[in-house]
Amino acid sequence: MSSLQAREVTKTFGGLTALSKVSLDLHPGEVHGLIGPNGSGKTTLLNLLSGYYKPDAGQIVLDDEDLSAKPVQRRASIGVSRTFQKPRLLPTLTVLDNAIVGGWPHAKCGFVATAFSLPCTGHEEREMRARATELLHGVGLGHVLQRRANLLEHAEQRFLEIARALMLRARFLMLDEPAGGLTGVEIGHLSDIITVLRDCGIGVLLVEHHTDFVFRICDRVTTLDLGRVIKHGLPDEVRTDAEVRRVYLGA
Amino acid sequence: MVLLALVTLPFWAGDEYKLHLAALIGAYWVLIGGLNLVIGYTGQLSVGHVGLLAIGAYAFAILAGTHGVHPAVAIAISGGIGGLCGLLLGLPSLRLPGFYFAMATLAFALIVSELILAQTALTGGGVGLSVPGFPEPFDSPAGTYYLILALGALVTWLTWNVARRMWGRGLIAVRDSVVTAQAVGVPVFRAKLTVFVFSGITAGVAGALFGSLQSYITPDTFIFELGLFFFVCIIIGGRGGIIGPLLGTAVLTALPELAAPLAKLGTFFYGLLLLIVVLLVPEGIGRLFEIVLERVRGRKVDSMPVSPDLARLSAAVRADRAT
Amino acid sequence: MLTILVSGLASGALYAAAALIYNVMFSTSKVLSVATGHTAMLGGVFGAWFISTLGWPIPIAVLGSVVIGGVFGFLTDLIAIRRVLARSDEHLWLLSTLALATMTQQAVALWWGTEPRPFPRLIPQDFTVGLADQKYWLPVAIAILMALGLELFYRRTLYGKLFVAMSEDAFAARARGIPTDRIRALSYVIAGAMGGLAGFAAGQLTFAYFALGLTLSLNGFIALAVGGLGSNTGALVGGAALGLLSAVATYFIGGEYQNTVAVGLLMVVLLLKPEGLFGARNVRPV
Repeated sequence: MSSLQAREVTKTFGGLTALSKVSLDLHPGEVHGLIGPNGSGKTTLLNLLSGYYKPDAGQIVLDDEDLSAKPVQRRASIGVSRTFQKPRLLPTLTVLDNAIVGGWPHAKCGFVATAFSLPCTGHEEREMRARATELLHGVGLGHVLQRRANLLEHAEQRFLEIARALMLRARFLMLDEPAGGLTGVEIGHLSDIITVLRDCGIGVLLVEHHTDFVFRICDRVTTLDLGRVIKHGLPDEVRTDAEVRRVYLGA
Repeated sequence: MVLLALVTLPFWAGDEYKLHLAALIGAYWVLIGGLNLVIGYTGQLSVGHVGLLAIGAYAFAILAGTHGVHPAVAIAISGGIGGLCGLLLGLPSLRLPGFYFAMATLAFALIVSELILAQTALTGGGVGLSVPGFPEPFDSPAGTYYLILALGALVTWLTWNVARRMWGRGLIAVRDSVVTAQAVGVPVFRAKLTVFVFSGITAGVAGALFGSLQSYITPDTFIFELGLFFFVCIIIGGRGGIIGPLLGTAVLTALPELAAPLAKLGTFFYGLLLLIVVLLVPEGIGRLFEIVLERVRGRKVDSMPVSPDLARLSAAVRADRAT
Repeated sequence: MLTILVSGLASGALYAAAALIYNVMFSTSKVLSVATGHTAMLGGVFGAWFISTLGWPIPIAVLGSVVIGGVFGFLTDLIAIRRVLARSDEHLWLLSTLALATMTQQAVALWWGTEPRPFPRLIPQDFTVGLADQKYWLPVAIAILMALGLELFYRRTLYGKLFVAMSEDAFAARARGIPTDRIRALSYVIAGAMGGLAGFAAGQLTFAYFALGLTLSLNGFIALAVGGLGSNTGALVGGAALGLLSAVATYFIGGEYQNTVAVGLLMVVLLLKPEGLFGARNVRPV
């Protein structure tokens, strides 16, 4: 099975070079950590992989398809999903509805079919509900299915985003600082969830500042600094690397 | 229950005036029901749909009146022309940011007015056109009412279907968080355009009905304030719902008729209501009712910690990947 | 023909003034107020009322109109902007300013009447002077003075520099201790006062008319979009372009197509250069 790849991508904003010839391979069935100080380009890289930015040079590739110029929606339809640093939810909808909306790429009934309530819509709706319910129980939100999303606690919001991302039938899940604002217990739950997803064959990209968390669960780690890769390898290799310590971890 | 009341309305409404009012509410609702998807669900703030109403009305008057086309066919064609104009308006303007888009729809309404006034040969210019009624059995006031009721019910059903399924959620995503909509794969521009064209069709049909109810139309029948009225009905009724805007339409249409001082204030009153709603209950009066109901039911928001069911998660994800 | 051009330029000056007002309000709040045109409408209506009905001397009437405009600007900020900016819903300000604009327009209609009423002569002048008629050059002079005044204000005064700081990064400005709420209120007062003055100056051209509010909001917006959001030079150029084009079109194909022509201009410019003639790439209010 192929990986989601960033190949020598460069991205500049005005005069500022955010990323310079960065490569990263996200394999299915692995947890890949992405760490680095603020401004190192982690979120930029994630935005490039998910399609919110287009690379100025280099490519984003999956399954031999060059995704670089393709919009976010194309990536969603082939199973590339992500969460956001500040959870982006639909505040007026329930938790269940928020999760179900993640199933959009697989809802094939068109506008007209939906308006006339053709049989496919009822069928699809039931299937979506069932899948979303299972996923929500899976991430631990079974007790708030009918709660409006704007009433959720911070941890619940983050986990809801994960459930929504999974509804896409995600092959790759990119998490943007998912541990931000979570308690130790909640980070433990997050850990468990990510491990399960990895074991199911999903490729997980974990952009994070909680380095203990990263080194604990990642299979490989890439470190960025000032838009370049400064170290890539197994967690222990990265953790003990002199350059990484100097730039980010501190002696 | 409500349905029964609506269906039997001609019998208990009293006089023909009230029946006419009910029919007017219905005609407005045919437009507003479609527009509700655009404003209430997709968040595109169109203030110029009165232009599409005018196009529908004049199309019907010209087809059925001047050219003797059968009214049923004329209604359908009016709807089609409305949809086409919705497409032409939507294509360039739906890509624009919110304020630009609103201004574009405002300009559209004014342009339609201008063109109607200018094309005297076709539209009768400032003098206007008379609009034919409907054939039997719809030619009586009660008959017209039933025709409008049927079409109103159709629009309600269609939009309710869209709202409660995936499309409804997708549209709300476009409204509340474009980033989310993109992330889950919603084709944002195409979705906006689709509902906009739909709203054009319903506006065209509503125009035919409305024109016939007025029996004589001039450019002054379609002033900008009417477009503002449609807009306000939806915002006040509540975005993201069907019943809210429906009630909003009924109440706001009937209110000036029932309370004479309000009639004098007219559009000022709608502006005031809009301001009050925006400042105090931005989600609309529909939401206000929901909140009251929740208080009454005493729903407690108990917080339990998040505890994942990993086995269930694993099973669900594997099932998803298997298909 | 020359009369047409001069008249178009004068109207264009009023549109340009409206665009300047949009810019001032936008700079501190990132909001485009639907009630922008109404500041000028109020200036015109109240100016006519002060002079013709109350018999005030003209300088006092000017002051009165400016004050009315400023108060309206303040009310716009107080009622339609302040509470709404705090909420996360992005387009509430469109609704609130629309509501305010509607209420203002209708209230004036109820009080002043729906017929355009004449605006009195400000400077003794014969009605037969043709091109030199003050109804043409007053608006033009005021628009240019306003643009120059704004330039001086932004460059030379403390408050002007605070406006610029806020418009570039309101968050950073607040972090640096700038009282952004008060600055914003001040900018709205200034914008409103400008509107009152512009409406007063253009009164003889437009007549004192309640419906001017919305059409000026629209035309001013077109001038703004053509010239480029955030650019005062653009506002002048956009306004002039719109005024001249409308006048010429009226001459050749008839006045019934004024709006169509105006929007046509807008569409052409937006298609070719979406940020406007003098606009910066990223200034669009999304």
